[in-house]
Amino acid sequence: MELGLSGMKAAVTGGSRGIGKSIATHLAAEGCDVSICARGPEAIAETRAEIESHGVASFGTALQGRDGEAVRRWTQDTCAEFGGLDVLVCSLSAGGGTNDERYWYRSFEIDLMSAARAVEEAYPYLKKSKNASILVVSSMAAAETFVAPMAYNAMKASLVTWSEQLAQQYAPKGIRVNCLEPGPTMFPGSNWEMIKVARSRTYAGVMRQQPTRRMGTAEEIARAAVFLSSPAARWVVGATLRADGGYTKGVQF
Amino acid sequence: MTIQRVSEGDFTKTPIDKTPDPGLGTEMIPKERYTSREFMQKEWERLWTKVWNWGCASEDVAEPGDYIVTSLGKEEILITRQHDGKVKAFYNVCQHRGNRLMMGQGNAETFRCNYHHWEYRLNGEFENIPDADSFPQGAPPCGGLTEVRVEEWNGFVFFNLNPEAEPLLEFLAPLDTHLGPYHFDRMVKVTDWTVEWECNWKTSVDAFNESYHVQGIHPELLYFIEDKHIQIDTYERHNRYLIPFSTISHRVNETTEIPHLIKHAMKEAGMDPADFDGRVSEVRRALQLYKRKHGAEMGIDYSDLNDDQLTDDYHYMIFPNITMNTHAEDLMLFRQRPHESDPDKMYFDVQMFRLLKKDEPRPKKPKNERFKHGERSMGLVIDQDAANLPGVQRGMHSAAFEGLWLGDQELRIRHFHKVLMDYVGED
Repeated sequence: MELGLSGMKAAVTGGSRGIGKSIATHLAAEGCDVSICARGPEAIAETRAEIESHGVASFGTALQGRDGEAVRRWTQDTCAEFGGLDVLVCSLSAGGGTNDERYWYRSFEIDLMSAARAVEEAYPYLKKSKNASILVVSSMAAAETFVAPMAYNAMKASLVTWSEQLAQQYAPKGIRVNCLEPGPTMFPGSNWEMIKVARSRTYAGVMRQQPTRRMGTAEEIARAAVFLSSPAARWVVGATLRADGGYTKGVQF
Repeated sequence: MTIQRVSEGDFTKTPIDKTPDPGLGTEMIPKERYTSREFMQKEWERLWTKVWNWGCASEDVAEPGDYIVTSLGKEEILITRQHDGKVKAFYNVCQHRGNRLMMGQGNAETFRCNYHHWEYRLNGEFENIPDADSFPQGAPPCGGLTEVRVEEWNGFVFFNLNPEAEPLLEFLAPLDTHLGPYHFDRMVKVTDWTVEWECNWKTSVDAFNESYHVQGIHPELLYFIEDKHIQIDTYERHNRYLIPFSTISHRVNETTEIPHLIKHAMKEAGMDPADFDGRVSEVRRALQLYKRKHGAEMGIDYSDLNDDQLTDDYHYMIFPNITMNTHAEDLMLFRQRPHESDPDKMYFDVQMFRLLKKDEPRPKKPKNERFKHGERSMGLVIDQDAANLPGVQRGMHSAAFEGLWLGDQELRIRHFHKVLMDYVGED
């Protein structure tokens, strides 16, 4: 099956590590020019080199996810640099953490508002694309009681509601919006890698729930993301796809 | 990822120079030092009765008449504060029939033996012998209790069973200069435990003299400390290593989320991890600067400590048996005492001290709690060490084990054995 991504222009928020990086490099492998933004300049440089190794163009800006202006500027700069935009993937996240009040604001700014801001800036460019798509990366934790009640889970849930309603509004403009809910995912430098070592009981508790007896890899999540973002999924609109290796037990009708 | 360290020219009162590694070879350390009763006896005669021993905290004998009984091998030592403010110590034994004189700790006007009520003054002299005229030979000519040499330093009382011993500061050198800036005498004791462990006292000393075992039995600490790229320094008797805290080990990958122990350290200092936008590897430096800036508001005087000391563990061993995890706001002190007769047993004393923050009420002074290993938790990390040690001691008795095979990360253990053998002389 041909995904039809070759020659398209993509932007991935938080594309320098983990799931975001894997999405960015898989989009590049499919022939997209790819732009990323993240905290660390070194990680951005490394990922850009990987993107360019596929013979496509790259762009990247180091920024703080809480800095709304910076996220907007990166989106604008990306569209200007690439001369348009076809695919936007909102993957930036503050990660889990505690339930302290400040973490709610942090999660709100980084997980929710960075997506809302990038979408707003990308909209005029996506509207002009023939195959426009927005993918919002939420989490299985939005739908399943997971580890502990916390800002991360609730903010990820708000992304699902927002993206599905956005899909209705944008469908007539030719922009598909979908949502992805990854289950627990392991990659070098992932928070799960730390939890496995530093909070082994929490890790063991999660693994007991996982019928596949392992966590997903960033690549396994990226493959689902790349499909949803590609013209091959052109009839998939307003969907929320859960890629969790069977972690969630509820039957979804 | 390189760890930034205080270097030449930066403010420090505690010397930070790396000492040249002593050429101590790579020979196996014979296991008999840990298992044999003959070696244990030599240790008693040539080591314990010759060195300065940590006795108690000065606050344990704060007021005239305050006393505390501590033990070392077969001996018990009675430490007490005099009316003139000085500290004295005595063998805790009545000169009449040899009964133990005092127990535990408290305050007394005189020390009176329970058996026949022989009574001694705070300075050790006889106060009263009931029916003294029934001893035709008179009172024992010693005049009272047998005194033990004692000296105070930085909030602690040390004793020495050797009347000819060098002064305490000479024995401690150069650690007085190193540890003075921590001002332990400003801290208060918050924990006081004595645990009977099924291992030789050196098995325990060794466990805290290397950080090679962190990746083995304390994996969660890999997300709180740098365990391998550390500085090891050896001195005439004592040694130390400097371990960066509030950072992650080079053995693991940097995460986006700040590991929970690092978050805890930030919160303790009043720094909100949710407002920190830097990377995990940048927390340590940020925390140092934050403490430097806000220390005074918290009521904590950091002025004598260098930047690394605000986050790190300057980990000292006072030969032969004191392990000190020194931190800017607290001290975790372990004293490893030999058993009275069994090389396979020891007493592990945990004494924790803490600086109080501004307006923080002084916590109730802890009572010494005694228990055997496994009867209660001492916190995850010490529990992990404690659970492991009996297995080490048991294994050392095996016919298939000849001795300790030490690597460079265990240089402090090799140095400890060098000093040990300087005292003991022969295996």
